[in-house]
Parts: sequence; structure tokens; C-alpha cells
Amino acid sequence: MTASALPVLPQLDVAETLLTLLRDSTTEPRADIQLEALTLAVAADLPVLLWGEPGIGKTAALTQLAAALDLPLTTVIASVHEPSDFSGLPVVGDDPAVQGVPMAPPDWAVRLVRAGRGLLFLDELSTAPPAVQAALLRLVLERRIGALRLPAGVRIVAAANPRSSAADGWELSPPLANRFVHLQWVHDHDVVVRGLGGTWPRAALPRLDAERLPEAVDFARRAVCAFLQARPGLVHRLPSGESRRGGAWPSPRSWEATLRLIAFATAAGSSRDVLSLLVRGTVGDGPGLELLASLDRMDLPDPESLLADPAGAVLPERGDLRQAALDGVVAAVRGRPERARWDAAWALLVRAMETGAPDVVVVPATTLASLRREDWEVPAAVERLAGVVSLSRRADEAARRSVRTAGARR
Amino acid sequence: MTARAPGALDLGKLFAARLHAARARPYLATALFALRPVESRQVPTMAVDRYWRCYVFPAFVDRTALEELAAVWVHEVAHLLRDHHGRGDRVARERGLTGPAERLRMNIAADCEINDDVYGDGLVCPEDAVTPQKLGVPAGWLMEDYLRHVRLGPPLDRLGWLDCGSGADGLERAWELGPDGAHGLSEQERDAVRFRVAQGIRGAPGSAPQSWRRWAEEVFHPPQPWRQLLGSTLRSAVCAPGAGEDYHQGRPARRSAGVPKVVLPSLRRRPPRVCVVVDTSGSVSDAELGSALLEVAAICRALGGRRDLVSVLSCDAAARTVQPLCRAEGIELTGGGGTDLRTGFARALRTRPDVVVVLTDGQTPWPEARPACRTVVGLFSRAGGSYDENDPDHRPDEPPAWARVVTIGSGPG
Repeated sequence: MTASALPVLPQLDVAETLLTLLRDSTTEPRADIQLEALTLAVAADLPVLLWGEPGIGKTAALTQLAAALDLPLTTVIASVHEPSDFSGLPVVGDDPAVQGVPMAPPDWAVRLVRAGRGLLFLDELSTAPPAVQAALLRLVLERRIGALRLPAGVRIVAAANPRSSAADGWELSPPLANRFVHLQWVHDHDVVVRGLGGTWPRAALPRLDAERLPEAVDFARRAVCAFLQARPGLVHRLPSGESRRGGAWPSPRSWEATLRLIAFATAAGSSRDVLSLLVRGTVGDGPGLELLASLDRMDLPDPESLLADPAGAVLPERGDLRQAALDGVVAAVRGRPERARWDAAWALLVRAMETGAPDVVVVPATTLASLRREDWEVPAAVERLAGVVSLSRRADEAARRSVRTAGARR
Repeated sequence: MTARAPGALDLGKLFAARLHAARARPYLATALFALRPVESRQVPTMAVDRYWRCYVFPAFVDRTALEELAAVWVHEVAHLLRDHHGRGDRVARERGLTGPAERLRMNIAADCEINDDVYGDGLVCPEDAVTPQKLGVPAGWLMEDYLRHVRLGPPLDRLGWLDCGSGADGLERAWELGPDGAHGLSEQERDAVRFRVAQGIRGAPGSAPQSWRRWAEEVFHPPQPWRQLLGSTLRSAVCAPGAGEDYHQGRPARRSAGVPKVVLPSLRRRPPRVCVVVDTSGSVSDAELGSALLEVAAICRALGGRRDLVSVLSCDAAARTVQPLCRAEGIELTGGGGTDLRTGFARALRTRPDVVVVLTDGQTPWPEARPACRTVVGLFSRAGGSYDENDPDHRPDEPPAWARVVTIGSGPG
């Protein structure tokens, strides 16, 4: 047989072998906080909007998510559909005046409803014409397709291109933006390079711990309520300015979503980095960061329990948090000045100086000294703070020298 | 303080210096206290990594005056607050810079950004601090700008020892503890510290110098590139339902023939009419107008495809004639006097546009009522506001709430 007479099929078989070799890749465990945040938001049954440039692995992430949640994945490319595919096609019957015009749903919706559960991924939301987007939003928010209603077991994720790269003028009006958890989807350079080399990451997805549920709800309620108590202005604030349009902003609705997400993240034992993505994607960067800062403060030890047991007190390692904890103790003493509490606070300051950097003790010590009543004797423990006093004096001298140097140079 | 072994790190002096720094710069206290000192014999002086650890060479502490140490504390924490490691990585990727020499240039450029205004007012300037003056470039730039002017060579040779760690330029050093080492701050914790500092500066703006206030304003909301913003705003105004392409059930679609009884909508395209009103009063410079007008013309052409639907109108105190954009090569802008955009609006509305785009510096009265079309205002930024010598307290009206406003010329264009 000559070469030219070879049948075509073996060539394709060879190609198939080559393709199989190319597809052959392994996975390695790697923490992926984007995917973890997405998983939690989907588990919490909140509509998620992934913002990301095309071709950076949003679909791959969704495939992994569907596998982790054990849900069948249905992908709908919004830009190739017509609005009636989502709002239902009007079908004219024999006698419309009597029977009405039913709105027929598309086949994928019927299958989804019949299955009762699934992950619906609405891709390329931003390249669809405005009327299609409007119909899709009804699907996302009211979960209705024509006459059908999606069952509770169906979770919805949408994807859109950022405004700057969107070909059309897609953007969300503030009421719509407020209903989504906005997650920025970016690719990690190292992951892509390693993946093309044959090793893709495998993220361990969060698992909700059934035993921690009541504790998680309690924590989430305390966190959000304490924060909004202190910052009433952040309960509702419409976005101002063109650059922040279409993003997350705080309102009672998005705070409720935040509460839910904190509870889910707590029950799953997720890191603060994951929670940061979720919270900032729900109420916006500014209020989200403020809430996270207030969570840091919530983690501080309670001043009263510190005062009750100065010898066994465990103070935060980080200098700024340690100073905040000590400031809290001094404020508690100022709130209810009693001799025993004042002494306990001094004992705490001594403990702080002996277990960490002494400079964070200076300001609380100065404030505490000013709280002294006339009939209170200085406790013996204060002598052990001599190091702090000399530290403060050295800093004072340096400040005077700096002023003199500056004066001499002038 | 207890007596320490010879050669050991003088923590007392280091902490006293930090206390002095925190007193001189109260708005940086949170960040200063969040830094974790780590004794290291491989750094020449003091250095930071991106996880907020501060590496300190014991002999450097011994030989340096306390007030100078305080200045170094502030310097190092400024590297971290200003995200020099992240920006260094980005610049390296964008400009294709590799190797330790490039990172040294980045470190020098970052030092210039910090050193041009961080000292004084209670903090001494270290003798060997790298400043823009020593490099012969103007002060007040950003690291990225200085980087273009930093050349390694004879005048900078003596800076070879300079090393502020990966916190200053993004390049991991062998002696650093890395992401898994003890006492590092997570990304969220770093954000939280920076956020608290920014909040402190914004809460009491009087005490911080200009560059720190600018940092606080922009750290979590960097200025938007106005070209993209203007483009997307205009696109969304032009494409919004009713103005452009959309579905209508007025006439059945062609594929209806295949599915009898089903009513399918059809796609109709009705290109929008766009009228651009250009403020040609004396206060708007030709360069500003040129750049903005080019953008608008490009966007409109791309959208409509029919240039006869785009018209341009120049307006100072009186509206001039409306010109179609067919003659795009030579749009004639006339004017030069004061501004009254109300006449421009009235004239533009007579062409029955779907979208009106106004390019102005905003020093004009605005129409009382919302016009019957979408309005995009491209506003040339005027730092410090306008000044009228007859009426120094005069402030021009803000653009009305019904218009979508994009500030032109602020931030990277």
C-alpha cells in the first residue's frame, strides 16, 4: 500500500491521541479565595454577578463549583437569545379572548424545573441587547421564565464584562446593582502558567459545619447590628458619581445579604480575606472595609473580662490592636472609676509591657494616670512601668532635638 | 530596660523612636504600631516586606540618632501604605523591567515619592535620604514618574547599598520570612490598616500634608480613566432602550414563518441622533477641547455608523450654527466669550436628538428643567474652582442631577 492510499481515519485517530495527550493534566491543591467566595455566595442563595474580562476562566470556575455543590450546570449564553426566550414566547391559541395567550418557556427552563435543582449560569450578560438584559434580570430576581417558576434548588450566577471593556452600554441601575453580590474575577498569572504546563489548581471548597450554625447566626447579627448602631449613616447611601455606578452600595437589602454572607462564612470557617471579597461585593468598598475593621475590633478581648483577670489576660499580638485593647480597658475604667478596677488596669499595662512592644503602652498609661482620684495610692505595679516612662522621656527628648535641628537648618 | 548582650538589637531605642514617630505623625500611628520589628543581620539598615514585617540591623540602630530612626520608621511605613510593592510589580510587568538593578531603580523612585514631603514638622530628614533634588528632578511626582528619570550611574553609585526590602519594590529577598513566616499580616488585615489610616487622615485633614491627603482620597477609589468612563457613559446613554437597537413586537420576525402560532419579536435598529454641544468660551483650552471632541466623535461614529446623525454645536454666550459631523475633518469651533449653555441646550434640542453631549468647564448656568433626551456632561476639571474678581465668593452651579457627569482630565487619561 502506498502512502497516498492510506485511509483518512487513522490520521484522525492520531489527532485524537494527540488531543488526549494535550488534555492530560493533573491538579494540585491551592487556596483560591475567589472561588471560595463564589461558593459561599451561591450556597447562601444570593444572585452573584461575576465581573471579568472574557476568556479568563469564569466558565471553568463554574464547572468546578457545580461539581463541588453536586448540581447539574446549565449555561445560557445571553447574547445569542431573544428576550422572549426568557420572558416566554407568546403562543396564540384557538380563542385568545377566552383562553388567553400563554407564554411558553424555552426547553432548557423546562428541563431545569423538571430536575428541580441545578446551577444556571447566564454568561455574556453584557453583550446582550438591552431588552434581553431586562428579561434576564426578571429571571434572576423573580426567578420566573414565562409561566414557569424556578424551584428553590436552582442557583443562579451571571457574568458580565467590566464597563470599560463592554462593547455596548451595559450597566446596572442602582436598584438592580443592589440585589447582586459583585465579585471581581481576575486571573492569577502563576495559576495560568502552571495550568498550561499541565498542573491546574484544585481548590478545597468550603464546607458548612452543621454544629456551628447557631453560633454563626449569632455572630453575624452582632457584627452587623453593632456596626450599623455606630454608623447609622451607612444604612442607606445611594452611590454618587459616575465612576461608582453599577457597583455595590449599602442599603437595608444589601446589609441583610451581608448578614447572611457573614453567617455562611463563619459557619464554613472561611478566612477574613474571603469575607472581605463578599462584604465589599455586597455593600461596596468603603462600608465593607469599615465593617471589616469593626469585626477586627469585635475580635478584641472584652475590657471587662480583661479587668476581671489581669494575670491571665491574653492581649493581641499586633501592636495597633493591642493598643486598641488597652485603650478599651482605660475607657472602661473611666466609665466606672473604682479603685480596684484602676489597679487591675495598671496590672494589665504591666503585663502588656512585659509581653510586647512597650511603646504601645505609653498612651494608655498616660490616660490611666490622669484618672487617679486623690485618695487612691499609686499601686506598686506602676514601678515596673519605669521602662515605659523612660521610653516616653527619650521620645520627648528626640522631639525637642528634632525641633532644634529644624530651627538650626532654617 | 534590662542590659542587653553586645551586638543585640536595642529594642528600647527602636521603640522610643517609633513612639516619637507616632507622636509627630498621629495619623500614621495605627500603621506604625502594626509593623512588627524583626532583627536581621542581612539588611543594611531597615527594610520592610509586604507582610508588614520590619527588618532591622542592630548596628544601624546603635549608630543612628533616635530622631533619625523615627524618620526611618515613617519612611518604611510609607512604602507599605502607598503600596509600592504592588505598584512596583505592576510597573515591572507593564514596562518589562527585570532584574535587581531595575528593582533598585524602583526603590530609589519610591524613596523619592516619600522623601519629597514626609520630613520636617517634627521629623528630621536623614542625611543620606534620596530626594528628587539630589536627582535633579522636580518634587511632588509619583513613583512611576520618578522611575522614568532614575538612571543608575556615577551619581547614584553610592546608593548600591540602598535596600528597603520587598515592601518597597516587590522583589522578594532571600532573608525575608515570606508569606508563611510568623507575624505576617494577611491581605485583609493590610487593607484594614491602610483603610483606618486613610479614614484618620480624611477625618482630620488639617494635620496631614497634601500628598497624604491625596493618598487618603485615592487609596480605595483611584481616579477613573476619563476616556473609558466618558466612552462607557456615552455608550450606555446611546444604547439605552428606546434610543438604539432593540426588540419590537410591532412586526413579526422573519423566523416566525417556521413556528406558526408563536409570535416572535424582531430586531429593529434605529440609530440614535447625537448632538454635541461644545463650550467654546475663553476658559476652555483648545487642547482640552480637541482631546475630548476626538473621543466623542470616535464613539459616535462607531455607534451610529451614520455620521449624518451626529452634529456638533459650539456655544459661548450665544449658540452658533449646528454642523453635521459629515465634515469631520474640519469641525469649526467659534466663540471665545462668556458662557451660557442654556442657549446651547435650546438650540441643540431643536435638532430633536436622542442624546445631548455637553463638553464644558461647568462655569455656566444650567437649564432649569430636564430636557427631553439623555444628557452626558463632560466636565473639564478645574482645581480650586473658578474665580471672579468682581465676586470672589461666587461658585458656579453644579451640573444638574439629571445629567450624567464625567470629569475629564482628572487621573490617568
